[in-house]
Amino acid sequence: MTTYFVAGIVVGSVYAIATLGLVLTYTTSRIFNFAHGAIAFFVAVTFYQATVNWGWNAHLAGVLTIFMFSPLLGLFLWAVLFRRLTESPSSVRLVSTIGLSVALPALAPILYPHIDAVLQPSMLWSPAHEYTIFGVHVDSNQVAVVVAAALIAVLLTVLMRATPYGLSVRAAVDSQTMAGASGVNTSFVTAVSWMIGTTLAGAAGVLLGALRGFTILQFTFLLLGSFAAMVVARMHSLTLAFAGSMAIGLLQELSASQQFQHFLEHFASATNPIILGIRPSIPFIVMLVFLLVYNGLQEERFAIDTRSTAEPVREVVVTRDQPWWRRLLPIAVCLVGVLVAPEFLNGLWLAIVASGLALATAFLSYVVVTGDGGMISLCQITFAGIAAALAAQFATNHNVPVLLAILLGALIVVPIGMLAALPSLRLGSLYLALATLAFSQLVQNTYFQTSRISNFGQGVAVPRPGGLAGDRAFYYLLVVLFVLVALLVRNLERSTTGLNLAAMRSSETATATLGINIVWSKFVAFGLSAFIAGIGGGLYASYAGAANMNQFDALLGAVWLAVVVTWGIRSITGALLAGLSFTIIPQLVTDHLSGRWLNLPTLFFGLGAIALARDPRGILHGATTRRYERRMRRARRTAEPAERVGEPAGAA
Amino acid sequence: MTDRSSPTDHPLLEATDVTVRFGGLVALDRVALTVPPATIVGLIGPNGAGKSTLFGVLSGLIRPRAGTVRIDGNDVTRASPQARARLGVARTFQRLELFGELTVRQQLVVAYRAKRRRTLFDLARTLPLDLLGLGNRPAPGEDATVDGALELLGLTSVASVSASAIGLGTGRLVEVARALASQPRVLLLDEPSSGLDARETDELAEVLARLRAEAGVALVLVEHNVGMVLGLADDVTVLDFGEVIARGPAAAIRADAAVQAAYLGTST
Repeated sequence: MTTYFVAGIVVGSVYAIATLGLVLTYTTSRIFNFAHGAIAFFVAVTFYQATVNWGWNAHLAGVLTIFMFSPLLGLFLWAVLFRRLTESPSSVRLVSTIGLSVALPALAPILYPHIDAVLQPSMLWSPAHEYTIFGVHVDSNQVAVVVAAALIAVLLTVLMRATPYGLSVRAAVDSQTMAGASGVNTSFVTAVSWMIGTTLAGAAGVLLGALRGFTILQFTFLLLGSFAAMVVARMHSLTLAFAGSMAIGLLQELSASQQFQHFLEHFASATNPIILGIRPSIPFIVMLVFLLVYNGLQEERFAIDTRSTAEPVREVVVTRDQPWWRRLLPIAVCLVGVLVAPEFLNGLWLAIVASGLALATAFLSYVVVTGDGGMISLCQITFAGIAAALAAQFATNHNVPVLLAILLGALIVVPIGMLAALPSLRLGSLYLALATLAFSQLVQNTYFQTSRISNFGQGVAVPRPGGLAGDRAFYYLLVVLFVLVALLVRNLERSTTGLNLAAMRSSETATATLGINIVWSKFVAFGLSAFIAGIGGGLYASYAGAANMNQFDALLGAVWLAVVVTWGIRSITGALLAGLSFTIIPQLVTDHLSGRWLNLPTLFFGLGAIALARDPRGILHGATTRRYERRMRRARRTAEPAERVGEPAGAA
Repeated sequence: MTDRSSPTDHPLLEATDVTVRFGGLVALDRVALTVPPATIVGLIGPNGAGKSTLFGVLSGLIRPRAGTVRIDGNDVTRASPQARARLGVARTFQRLELFGELTVRQQLVVAYRAKRRRTLFDLARTLPLDLLGLGNRPAPGEDATVDGALELLGLTSVASVSASAIGLGTGRLVEVARALASQPRVLLLDEPSSGLDARETDELAEVLARLRAEAGVALVLVEHNVGMVLGLADDVTVLDFGEVIARGPAAAIRADAAVQAAYLGTST
C-alpha cells in the first residue's frame, strides 16, 4: 500500500508541476492551453532524443531542455500565437490551442525521425539511489520530483503574492488596457508567464518520461490529470491546483493497488475493462464532481466572460453582393466532382473517397455544435464511435437491417451526448471543452475496451446494406445521405432555432434578456450534433465492414476538429472538403513520401486550425474575401467611392 | 400590444433595499426604485454611480447581495433574465449587444419569437419543423409587430442591413426596436441617446413619449443627457456612489441642491 502511496505522491507531483504552469498562463492571459500536455510531450521527446540518440549526459540534457529549450519554445509560441489570442473570442482561443495540441506531437517524429515507437523510461539518476525514510522505500528520482514540485509551488506563490511581478499580473488580469496605461508592460508580463508556464510543462514532461516512459498514454494521463486539477482550482487557485493534482495522482495510483484490486474482485474479474478503466477515468470523475459542485455555486455566470463566443463575421457583406449561383458554386463544384469521381477512380481510391464522404457526414456535426452553437466539443468522435459500435451490435448480433441499425445507434447517442454536456453547459465553452475531452477518454478506456465491442481489436462486423453492397452503389448512397444530412443542417440554420443560435454567438447576455433559454438551445444543438456524428460514424464503419474502435480514438478527436476548422467550421462545403482531405491527403503522403512524413497531414491540420481559428469559414472564405476585397478596391478606383452604410458597430 | 392591465395595485417593477458589492466596492447601497405601469422613470447620476449595475439587477444579470426585486408584487430577485423577459421586462445596453451576424430585421424577429418558445417541450415540438425547413415561417402577428417597431424608430430603410455594418447611433435605435419587438410591459433603456445627434435625440424622445402614451409601456431611462430625462420623465431618481441622493418629480430634481452638488461639484 505504501508503495502505491509513494507512487501516487510522485505522480501527483508531476501533475502539480504541469497544473501550476497552466494556472499561471491562464491567470495572466485568460488562455487555457490545451496544448500544455503536447508541449510537455514535445520537450520530453527532445530530451529523449538528446540523451538516447545524441548520447548527451542525462543531467546536462535535462537542464538544457527544461531551462533553455522550454522557455525559448514558450517565448516563440507567445510571440507567434498566444500574444494574438488574448483579445480573441473564447472559441478562437480554444481552437487555436487545440490546433497546437494537434500540431506539436505530429512535429516530433518529423524532427526526430529515429525515435522508436515505444520509448523506454530513462532515469535522471540511473541507477537510482535508494533511501528509506520513515520505513518507506523511495529512490532519488522520486525524491527529486516531489521536492521540485513543492519548491515550484512555494516559489510561484511567492512570485504571485509578494513580488512586483505578481502585482503586475493581477493588474493585467483585471484590465490589459488599464494596466498598460499605468505603466505595466503587459507584453513583458504575459511573455514571462508563458516562458515559465512552458518551462513547467517541459519539466513535467521530462520528469514523467524519466519515471514512467515516454509513451503517449502517460502524457494523456498527465494532460487529463492536470486539466481535472484545473477544474478543481477553478482555473486560478494555485493552492487548489496543487491539492487537486496530488489528490488525482494519489487516487489513480491507489486504484491500481493490490488491496483495491482485490476489493474489486468481489464485483468483477480483474481483467474486466470497466475495472481496468477506473484509473484513466479518475480525472473525468473528479472533473464531473467538481463541475456539479461549481454549477451550484455559480451565481453571476454572465459576469465571467462577456465577450462574444465567436468572432463577428464580416462575410455577410461579401455573400450579399454575390448572385445566388455564385454562392452555390463551391458546393456545386464539389458535388459534381464527387458524383463523377467513380468514373475515374480505381478500387483503393474509391474506398478512400467513400470513407471521406462518411467522415464528412460526421464532420457536419461540428457545423451544428461549433459553427452554429458556438460550443467546442472534443467528443464528436466518441459519439461516432458509440453509434458505430451500437450499429454493429444491432446489425450483427440482432439481425437488424443495417441502415436501421445505424439510425438506432445514432438516436441512442443523443441522450448520451446530452448527459455528457449537462454538467458543463451552463459554465461556458471552456468547461464544456474540458468535460467533453474527459468524457471521450472515459468512454475510450471503458466501453470501447469491452470484449463485446472491441472483438479482439478487430471490431464487430457491420455489413453493408443489402442491394447496395457494391462499392459504387454504396458510394452513391453515401453521397445521397451526406446531402440529406447537409439539408437538415442548412434547414436548422435558417430556422428560428438557427436564428437564436446565431444571436447567442454574438451576445448571450442580450439573448438571455429577450427570454431565450440559452442552455436549452445549446442542449438541442448538442443533441443534434451527437445524432449527426452517430450517423457518420455508423456509415464509416459500414463502409469499412467493421466498427473498429481504433478509428474512433479519443486523441484523434482533436485532429477531427482541427481539419474541420481548417476548411471552415461554419460551412457545409467545408465539412465535405474536410472529410475528403482527411482520408485523401494521408493516402497521398503514404504513396509519395517516406515514413518520416506520415504525420505531415496531421501537422498541416493542426497548423491550419491555428491559422484559421479566427475565420469560421476557413480556407474557402479566406480566398473569397481576398478576391472580394480586390474587386472592391478596383471598383473604388474606377468609380465613385462606394456608399458606406456606417462605421462598424463593434467600435462601441 | 398585449394585456396591459395590472392585476393588482402593485407597481409594475419595484426594487427595494438593493445592495451590490464588487469585491470591496459597494456599487449599490440599499437602493430603491419604483416603476408604476405606463410611467417614465428617469435614473441619472455621474459616471460610476451604479446606474448600469441597477439595470443589471432589474433585468436579472446581476444578483444583488441584499434586497428584493418585484414584478407585479411577486418576488423575482432570484429569477433568471429569461423568466423576467417573459414577465415583460426588456432592456437595451450601454455597450451595444447587437447580434452581429443577423440583419437589423432579424434581431427583431428573434425577439418577437422568443416568447413563443418557453419550454423544452416547445423546443422539441418545433425542432422537427426546423429540420424539415419549415421553421422560418413568420409567427402570427410577427410581421405587423416587427415592421411596426422598425417604422416607429425609422429603421425601415436599414431593415435588411447586417447589424455589424450599422453605425453606433443606428445601433442604439435597433436595440430599442429589438426590445420593443419582444412586446414588453417595462423597457429599461441604458443611455439610448449616446451616439445620437441632437435631431435624432429629439426624435427618440418623441418616440419614447408615444410609446408610453399609445402602447402603455413603462420606461426606465438611464441617461447622461439630463435635459432629455427631465423633459420626459414623470419621476426621477438620482444616484451617486451607489446611493439614492434624490428622488421626485422632474421639476423638484432640477432645483435639488444635492443633485447640483453631485453634477457640478459644488460643496454644500
